[in-house]
Amino acid sequence: MKSREQEYREIFMSEALEYYDAMSRHISELEKNPEDTAALNELFRLMHNLKSNARAMGYNQIGEVSHEMETIFGLIRDKEKSFAGTVVPVLFTGVDTLGAMIRAVGEDAEMPPTEDLLANLDRLVQGEEPILIIAESDTDEEAGRKLELSDLVYIQIKKLDHLLNLVGELIIDRDRIMTLGREIGHPALQAAASHLFRITDELQYSVMDARLVNVGSLFNKFPRVVRDVAASEQKEVTLRLEGQDIQIDRNILQIITDALLHLVRNAIAHGIETPQERQKANKSPAGRLTLSAQTERDDVLIRVADDGRGIDVESVRRKAIERGLVRAEVAANLDANAVRAFLFEPGFSMAKEVTEISGRGVGLDVVKLAIDSLGGQLRVESELGQGTIFTLVLPTSIAVKGALLFELEERSYAIPLMHTDSVVALEPEELHVVGGTLMARIQEENVPIVNLKTLLHSGDGPLPAAIHEDLVGRQRIIIVDYNNRKLGLIVDRFLRQQDIVIKPVSKPLDTIDLFGGVTLLGSGHVCLVLDVPALTRLFLAKRP
Amino acid sequence: MPEIESNSEKKVIKQQALIQLIVFRLGREEYGIRIEQVKEVTITPEIARMPKTPPFVKGIANLRGDIIAIIDLEERFQLRSTAEALPAITYTLAIEAKDYTIGLVVREVPQPLSIPVSIIEKAPEFIQDANIQDKYIEGIAKLDGRIIIVLDMLKLLTPTEIMQLQPKA
Repeated sequence: MKSREQEYREIFMSEALEYYDAMSRHISELEKNPEDTAALNELFRLMHNLKSNARAMGYNQIGEVSHEMETIFGLIRDKEKSFAGTVVPVLFTGVDTLGAMIRAVGEDAEMPPTEDLLANLDRLVQGEEPILIIAESDTDEEAGRKLELSDLVYIQIKKLDHLLNLVGELIIDRDRIMTLGREIGHPALQAAASHLFRITDELQYSVMDARLVNVGSLFNKFPRVVRDVAASEQKEVTLRLEGQDIQIDRNILQIITDALLHLVRNAIAHGIETPQERQKANKSPAGRLTLSAQTERDDVLIRVADDGRGIDVESVRRKAIERGLVRAEVAANLDANAVRAFLFEPGFSMAKEVTEISGRGVGLDVVKLAIDSLGGQLRVESELGQGTIFTLVLPTSIAVKGALLFELEERSYAIPLMHTDSVVALEPEELHVVGGTLMARIQEENVPIVNLKTLLHSGDGPLPAAIHEDLVGRQRIIIVDYNNRKLGLIVDRFLRQQDIVIKPVSKPLDTIDLFGGVTLLGSGHVCLVLDVPALTRLFLAKRP
Repeated sequence: MPEIESNSEKKVIKQQALIQLIVFRLGREEYGIRIEQVKEVTITPEIARMPKTPPFVKGIANLRGDIIAIIDLEERFQLRSTAEALPAITYTLAIEAKDYTIGLVVREVPQPLSIPVSIIEKAPEFIQDANIQDKYIEGIAKLDGRIIIVLDMLKLLTPTEIMQLQPKA
């Protein structure tokens, strides 16, 4: 495993070499046609980028030379100087020297001397004539010139997606071969299958690894966002970033980009108070906003934490009742967590008043949906007056998910483990009909139970009221958990726990949101993957 | 290879473009789809029924790693009594719609057929008028006493047209 340091250096090297190549090209173009503004602008930009990168990595010599070069290209661009006469050889020497310095970084070698060059560049900036030393070793240099190819390749994410899909297929076939090997009982086949197992495992790991990027690649865009939002909201905000080197699948990062942007904007616009309000509340005038990432088992937790005014649970509770999301007598007994979960209900967040009163809730359902689509979870903790923490629990990789397989009407279905709370088998006596809904007491909690068959086959109307007499024998129940709501699903048979590769449901059936996708089992059967959020919503909409 | 064709045939064909159809039976009639809209024809793979879809959506199946929806046009157009179950072996035409693939299940092996474009007559006005939404009948071809209804799958397979369902929560 390479160290981070080394990885960063390789990235710097590959970019710097690319810049160098582009610089050489553009400066040659400029020599042919000094009026070529496109080449000139490009040179200016490249110098600027190289300067920033080099300074960030601590290669100050490169930074210094590119800074001077940038200045001169800037002067030429502003027509204060022209790309002619003695300027030309100095700039060419500059580009060559930059190339040599970049190579020196790559080889861990001594940097070439830059004093003469810097002195000349300085003279140019001052408007003096440079002192040109005719390099007698010109021919030598020609012979010693090396053409560099970068050690890194850029690759379109589409290609990696394709690769990952293929690996998914391979894993499905591998499982099939393993199953066959066991069924036939052929030792050689079994041995070959287990070898295949190891290789595909490693292949899958490598492909997934190739797709990982640092969370920092997204986080680092936020200082600017925070600055802009804070300025327009007239707030003072200091942003802290933590765990930028945590790695996560690039597509997951892409999908949560908007969600994160939303949470950060919300935190500044509605969470953090104005400096005056903060001083009244004995807080520092500048609000603190923290974006952090950490790994927890196979998941990545991304937090957006502010020290603002927090969420007023009571006003959320009132709103939830007004919106008809919950009955008043039920709402009175809900704990703070359950009440905050209402913030993620679609429609609830549209309530403008909530924004004004409690300071939160604009479009949180959108954030929630994005996280749901990844099979992740969104949590919120908040203390009134102290601040709010949103936690995004995300899978490291999209491709493989742990799932619980079960049988219903002789078909296999899967439920992602992310949303499974527990699995129980209950006698009919342990289930009670309350207001037409089955209930069971599970771990000190009353959990509504529904027969999955009834739920899946329900028509447009509400579900028929549950009848206790319909329950015969032990009931196998999967307790799912979504947005702090538990729901028990009666199924026919538990099968097993398994890592599955989820494929999206293709059009036109993708409008059926009850299924998060499909997977192919080792047996070759198609298995539908239930989407717990949609299932929970269906139950809430249809309950008798 | 036109050289091999007899002179008389050549005359007819020369100025007339041919189109190739995949012809299959639905109910009592024969239907045709332009061959370029058909990705492949295969024995229907195992279908997993998908809850919350209308009955004419038979379910989803694994076609070489692609998970596609399989629909039964006989049921969709009510061309046979629902009591009549599908035989044990059926065939599936994988159709390439605009941005997805979908399977049409048929009872008998579909056959390719080349016909001149000119023998496709426009469907009678009243059929077109009856279903303003769905002008997926491109025309009707008469050939040696056979009548083949030529479907324009791209019009038939717009997601809204197929689904017309939305039994969403």
